[in-house]
Amino acid sequence: MSDTHSTPHADHSGEEQKHHTFINLALVLAAITGIELVLVYLPIHEAVVFSSLIALSLFKFFSVIAWFMHLIYDKMLLTLAFGTGLAIASGTVVALMFIMDRGFVDFEAISAF
Amino acid sequence: MSSTLTEPTAPATTHDDHALKPEKSNLGLTRPDHNKSVLIDWLTTVDHKKIGIMYGAIALFFLLVGGIEALIIRAQLIVPENDLVTAERYNQLFTMHGTTMIFLAVMPLNAAFFNFLVPLQIGARDVAFPRINSFSLWTFVAGALVLNFSWLMQAFGELGWFTATGPTAGMTDFVPGMGWFGYAPLTERQFTGVGTDFWIMGLQILGIASLSASMNFVATIINMRAPGMKMMRLPVFTWMTLIVSLLIVFAFPAITIALGQLMFDRVFDTSFFQISEGGQPILWQHLFWIFGHPEVYILVLPAMGIVSEVLPTFSKKPLFGYSIVVFSGAVIGFLGFAVWSHHMFTTGLGKVATAAFSLLTMAIAVPTGVKIFNWIGTLWGGRVRFDAPMIFSIGFIWMFMMGGFSGIMHSAAPADAQQQDSYFVIAHFHYVAIGGILLASISGLYFWLPKMIGRMWAGKLSTWVAIFATIGLNVTFFPMHFLGLIGMPRRTHTYLSGFGWDGYNMVCTIGAFILGFSILLFVIDIILLITKGKPAGNDPWDARTLEWATTSPPRGYNFANTPIIPARDALWEHKHGAENRKITFVDEAKHGIHMPSQSWMPMVASVGFIPLGLGLCLMQAGVPYMGYVSISGLVIIALGVMLWAIEGPGGYHLHPKEDEI
Amino acid sequence: MSDAAPAHNDSHHSLMVNNKKLLMWLFLGSDCMFFGTMISTHLIYRKLYPESFDPTSLFSLELTSFSTFILLMSSALMAFAVSAMHKGNMKSFRRNTLGVIFFGLIFLACQVYEFTEFTHAGLTLKSGTFGSTFYMLTGTHGVHVAIGVFWLICMYFYSHTGKMDPHESAVDVEVAGLYWHFVDIVWIIIFTVIYLIEFIQ
Repeated sequence: MSDTHSTPHADHSGEEQKHHTFINLALVLAAITGIELVLVYLPIHEAVVFSSLIALSLFKFFSVIAWFMHLIYDKMLLTLAFGTGLAIASGTVVALMFIMDRGFVDFEAISAF
Repeated sequence: MSSTLTEPTAPATTHDDHALKPEKSNLGLTRPDHNKSVLIDWLTTVDHKKIGIMYGAIALFFLLVGGIEALIIRAQLIVPENDLVTAERYNQLFTMHGTTMIFLAVMPLNAAFFNFLVPLQIGARDVAFPRINSFSLWTFVAGALVLNFSWLMQAFGELGWFTATGPTAGMTDFVPGMGWFGYAPLTERQFTGVGTDFWIMGLQILGIASLSASMNFVATIINMRAPGMKMMRLPVFTWMTLIVSLLIVFAFPAITIALGQLMFDRVFDTSFFQISEGGQPILWQHLFWIFGHPEVYILVLPAMGIVSEVLPTFSKKPLFGYSIVVFSGAVIGFLGFAVWSHHMFTTGLGKVATAAFSLLTMAIAVPTGVKIFNWIGTLWGGRVRFDAPMIFSIGFIWMFMMGGFSGIMHSAAPADAQQQDSYFVIAHFHYVAIGGILLASISGLYFWLPKMIGRMWAGKLSTWVAIFATIGLNVTFFPMHFLGLIGMPRRTHTYLSGFGWDGYNMVCTIGAFILGFSILLFVIDIILLITKGKPAGNDPWDARTLEWATTSPPRGYNFANTPIIPARDALWEHKHGAENRKITFVDEAKHGIHMPSQSWMPMVASVGFIPLGLGLCLMQAGVPYMGYVSISGLVIIALGVMLWAIEGPGGYHLHPKEDEI
Repeated sequence: MSDAAPAHNDSHHSLMVNNKKLLMWLFLGSDCMFFGTMISTHLIYRKLYPESFDPTSLFSLELTSFSTFILLMSSALMAFAVSAMHKGNMKSFRRNTLGVIFFGLIFLACQVYEFTEFTHAGLTLKSGTFGSTFYMLTGTHGVHVAIGVFWLICMYFYSHTGKMDPHESAVDVEVAGLYWHFVDIVWIIIFTVIYLIEFIQ
């Protein structure tokens, strides 16, 4: 009585398709990791490298969530449950990065430097 | 298939329960089902109602403990330069008063209400994960024990039986004394003793209890609703439970990490908040309040949920603007994550940050105000009955509003610059905490205790509780607004004469004892209820929601047949509405009712937190081999969880008699 | 909607989402906040004191890229394992699970190696803010991986007892899979935010 997403019988062809998607995604992810590794050593402008790294990481992040973690095949509720946490965490990280500023640091007090 | 819902109380028939034989689990051990021993039955219970009652009883105990801590504080402050307690002891008292009231009184009291009511209100038999529910309760107990063990150590210290050596050598504060918010760098290893470690471990354990319970409630409310119980037909209290649970899920990790970082600083010499190494104590404040602000909404939203149930019941009118009230609750929850730095206006955040947080804080007043207007709208034109629950809920509206006014005054950062760290802040949060949360909780207890234990209140002691509580609250905390504005700082164990503070302080102390007296009366009223109360019947208040459709107290399985819900305020519609809005039932006679099995394993896992917590604290105090004790605690937890996973949920079937509900 | 199913609290109800899956996704949402806070702390201290420590001399981008790759592949194997379970193919499930465990252990070995190297080179927990945030963040992640490996080992052995029925246990496997994938995606963020960005010329 605990079938998870659809009736088990009709599912096997769907499972096969997903299997292929997984293999393809695994290859893509491996390739991206390689690209990232090369990218940092290329003599391109720092901001371009930085944004590309972020973009590639985000792609890896969201594609694992969508396909390996099945979210794209599941009910929207699960995306909401996770997405809320992700949104709050991201918002907090961004807010903190803006608020904490070098200008407020008292370098005199830091004996380690 | 519908049975009558307004039957007089059925006699407490035992079903075939105790004749049933317990089964063996997947581990080969016998499950503790159908146990004749009352003690084992309660220790291994997964029944949300029993768990709720245990949370409630422990919460009320700690309410008294926190209250006594408060009375000692006020007694110390009654006259200038008093020496009832030392400065160190005073610091420990206000720290433990705050920590106890927030984490050991209000949160578990809210948990008691969530546990008892939510499955009943949604027409379910139990929560989604009954054993996780048991785990949450016992983990809470473990956390409470670890935190309060510190008092025992302090006593040993005072008697000369124990001195701290090792990492905290020379420091005599065994009870936390750095404020309930534990600001760095005071909490660093060189400034405070083992008290800080007890605080860290106690809160971490309590955090795990809260987190696991909340995830359980979200799954329950989303997934376990009876047929027809659409989200917008849920009682407001259940909605608030959902929002609060989500807040806990997303807010607690911040303090878990902050406490972890602090613990690493103290135990492993890291530099998260050590200034000499570049650590920034302000980061602690940020992380703490990123948790701390949602925390105060976690404390107050359930109270608002209670009031949203009581007011309609005793006005015999539906809640005015149900959708808006629900939506406002959600908005308050969401915005609660965006305002944390209003606790930090005087730390020099800079113009932009200060302005942003100030505006967002003002924004949060809007949905709160909307709720208040809706509550008043509920009363307006209703056939109001001034029974005990109603008196306290009406008191909530007014007293919470006063706390809201001082809150709005805080939201203006320039004004806050004067109010911060003064008694004005104490006035604000005690109005929302006592005037708001406590009055609403008392309202909820007056409302639902008859359902929980099956007996009805007798006499009008509640009126006196209300009178003295209101007088006590206002006499204690209203003068504090002025006391703060004329300059008395918070957290000072005494003060000099001649500042004009003397009279105010004396008045506040008298008020505190009046408030204490009202709580005493309340405790007496509860004792009278339990010992002398007459049988309550299913629906003594002529109420509106599903829990009143069951017996008092409800049977183990809640509903003999799962109800099918046609409308909001389902019970009211059933009693007074049209034919097509009556509750019908799923016929489950053939299949029987599936009940979850009881279990020792969640408690086994929870017990492991005690050596884990105490071991670490004693290790910091220099006691040898305590690191191993901590590790053994981890092993016990892991073992408990593994056995829990392997034993399987089990379950058994009950077949209630034909005419039972 | 009113058949015998509602009685069992293990299955799905009103919104047709499995209880256990919902619980795990909520936990992961919470874990986002958990790791987000730690990542914030690290980023804040790097922003405040970029010159206090130069990790490029210490970090081996090759090693860390390798371990990242390993973890990503383990995620793929986990997806295969879950898929196998849904199809009722126990052999394939066990093979893939063993693969995930194996790769997870390789990842942990790389972490242990890295930590040992760094400690010998002088970077410890006590090494100022960088040491604190680096070890706490990667260490906590490592503990998450270790718990996942332990969970999968238990699951692997349990699959041999015959008590694992593909229909009943599919959701348990899926839930373990969700946890494992999450641990992987957190590492993706950590790899970028701790390692890669330090190397930008």
